[in-house]
Amino acid sequence: MNFSIMFDKEKCKGCTNCMKRCPTQAIRLKDEKACIDVKLCIHCGECVKICPYEAYSTSAVESHKEKYYKFKIAIPSTTIYGQFPKGTEICKVQNAILKLGFDYVYDESWSSELVSKAIKKRIEENKNIRPLISTNCPSTVRLIKIRYPSLMDHLISIESPMEIAAKMAKMRAKELFNLEDEDIGIFYISPCPAKLLAVTDPVGKKISLINWVIPLNTIYGDLYREVKKENEICYSNPSLKGIRWAVSGGQSEASDLINYIAVNGMENIINIFDEIENGRLYDVEFVEAMACVDGCVGGTFNIENPFIARNTLKYIKHKTNEDLLLNEDLDKFEEFYHDGIFDLIISQDSDKGHKINIKEAVFKIEKIEEILAKLPGLDCGSCGAPTCASHAEDIFNNESELYDCVVLRAKRNENK
Amino acid sequence: MGSDGLIKRFSYPIVANDFTIAGKSSSEIKSNIKAIGIDARIIRKIAIISYEAEMNIVIHSLGGFIHCDLYEDKIVIVSEDIGPGIPDIEMAMTEGFSTATENVRELGFGAGMGLPNMKKYSDDFEIESNKSGTIIKITILI
Repeated sequence: MNFSIMFDKEKCKGCTNCMKRCPTQAIRLKDEKACIDVKLCIHCGECVKICPYEAYSTSAVESHKEKYYKFKIAIPSTTIYGQFPKGTEICKVQNAILKLGFDYVYDESWSSELVSKAIKKRIEENKNIRPLISTNCPSTVRLIKIRYPSLMDHLISIESPMEIAAKMAKMRAKELFNLEDEDIGIFYISPCPAKLLAVTDPVGKKISLINWVIPLNTIYGDLYREVKKENEICYSNPSLKGIRWAVSGGQSEASDLINYIAVNGMENIINIFDEIENGRLYDVEFVEAMACVDGCVGGTFNIENPFIARNTLKYIKHKTNEDLLLNEDLDKFEEFYHDGIFDLIISQDSDKGHKINIKEAVFKIEKIEEILAKLPGLDCGSCGAPTCASHAEDIFNNESELYDCVVLRAKRNENK
Repeated sequence: MGSDGLIKRFSYPIVANDFTIAGKSSSEIKSNIKAIGIDARIIRKIAIISYEAEMNIVIHSLGGFIHCDLYEDKIVIVSEDIGPGIPDIEMAMTEGFSTATENVRELGFGAGMGLPNMKKYSDDFEIESNKSGTIIKITILI
C-alpha cells in the first residue's frame, strides 16, 4: 500500500470530534486517544477533514517515481481541472502530468463519458430494480456493504470510470507501444483516500487494474509549476461531459437522465438509503450518492474549496469548444458495451447457511437495552464511544465499563 | 402472550396524521432486525412491510400499534389500528387504488401501493377489518 490515513497520537487531544462525525461509528477513544476499527472504516475521510489538531494526515509512504515500471500511465481524476485558478490553460494539464515522469496520460473524463453512456443503456435494459445506485464512490459502496447489505443488488452492474480508464489506457498502450501487461504500471491521481479502497478491496470478484494511487495534493505543487510554464504546446483537453462527474449530479446529467437523485454528504446519503430500503423510491431510476460534500470536488486530497472548484469547472465547460474534442474510444462504445467491457459482477457476501440464533440475539438486544436505560442519554462522547447506545453495546461486549460514563461517575462520587 | 414459540415482541405506538415522526417506528424495527443479524433479503422485506403498515396507520386511521414478533423460523408484523376500517378490502388490494386525500398525496404518500406491496413481500398475509378498525398480520419466513 502506497499511502493510508496516518494518525499521529501525539497530536490527538481526545476531543471526540472525529468519533462523533464518523458515519459508521468506527472510532472510539482509548486512553484519551482516537482509535479506528479498520473493519468498519469506509475511508470517507470525514475524520481527516474535521480534526482541529491535524492528527490525521494522508502522506505518501513512497513516491510514484520510486516505483519501477517500463511504462507508466497516469489517470488524472476528473476533479483535477477544478484545482487551478480560473483562466489557466487546462489543455496543458495532461502534458504537465507527463513531465512529472509518466509515459502516457489517459484522462478519467473520457472514461466517465463512456461510462455515462453505459449507465444510460443499463438503466433502460434493467427495469426490474429501482433505483439503481452508482458504483463510482467507493465509500458509498462500502457503506452499502456494511450498513445496507439489502441494497447490494441495487448497485448498477457498471464499472467505475477509474477502472474503465485503466482498461482503455492499457489496451491503447499495448497496441501503440507493443508492450506486455507486466511492463505497464497504472497510476491514478486521486481526489480522496477512498479510491485506494476501491483498488485494495474492490466490490465484486475482480482485481483492480490500478497499480498505484497518488494523492492529488502530493503532486499538486510540481504540477502547478509545469502548467504555468510559458510556451508549452497544448496537448489535450478533457471531455466536457466527463468532467461533470467531479460534481454531485454530474454523472446523471452526463448520462442524460432526468429521473434521478443526486445526494452528497454521509448523513444525507444515509437518509436516502433508508428511504430506498423502505421501498419508497421504486419510481426513481438512478441514485448517485457521493460521500463528500458537493461530490468528488469535496474529496480530502483536493486543493481548492469544493464550491470554487465547481464554479471553475462550469467556467471551463462554457469556455471550451466541444467540437474540437475527440476520443476514438467513444466511437467504439457500442462494440465495447457488447463485449462486456463495462460489466461489473457484484457478488453478495452470502450469509446463506449461516444459521442465526434468534434467542441469543434477542438476549443480547435486551441486555444492551437494560444497560442503555442506566445511561444518561446525552450522547456526549466523554466515555469514549460516540453515543450512549454504542457505549451500551461496548459494555455488553466487555470493551468498556459502565462507569466510563462521566455522568454516572459524578453521581456515584456525589453519593459517597 | 400465548403464541407458540414467540421469542420477543417489539411494540410501537403510531400516532395518526403526524407526518413529522412517520417512519420512525419502522426504522427502529429495521435496526433491531439488523442487529439480530437477519439475512439482507429478509431485512428488505420487513423494511418495506413495516414502513407501509406504519404509513397506513398514519394516513388512514385514528392511531394504533405496530408489533414485530420474532419466532425461531419467522417474523410476524402485526398492524392494528382503531379507525374507519377498510370498506372494500378487495378494492384496497388493487395496485394504484387509494382513498388518501389530496393533502396526503401532495406529501408524496398515498400512491395506492401500500397493501399490494405488503402482500407482495409476505409469505402469508391476513387482514381483518370492520367499522372500528383493522388488523393485518404479515408473516415472513426466515
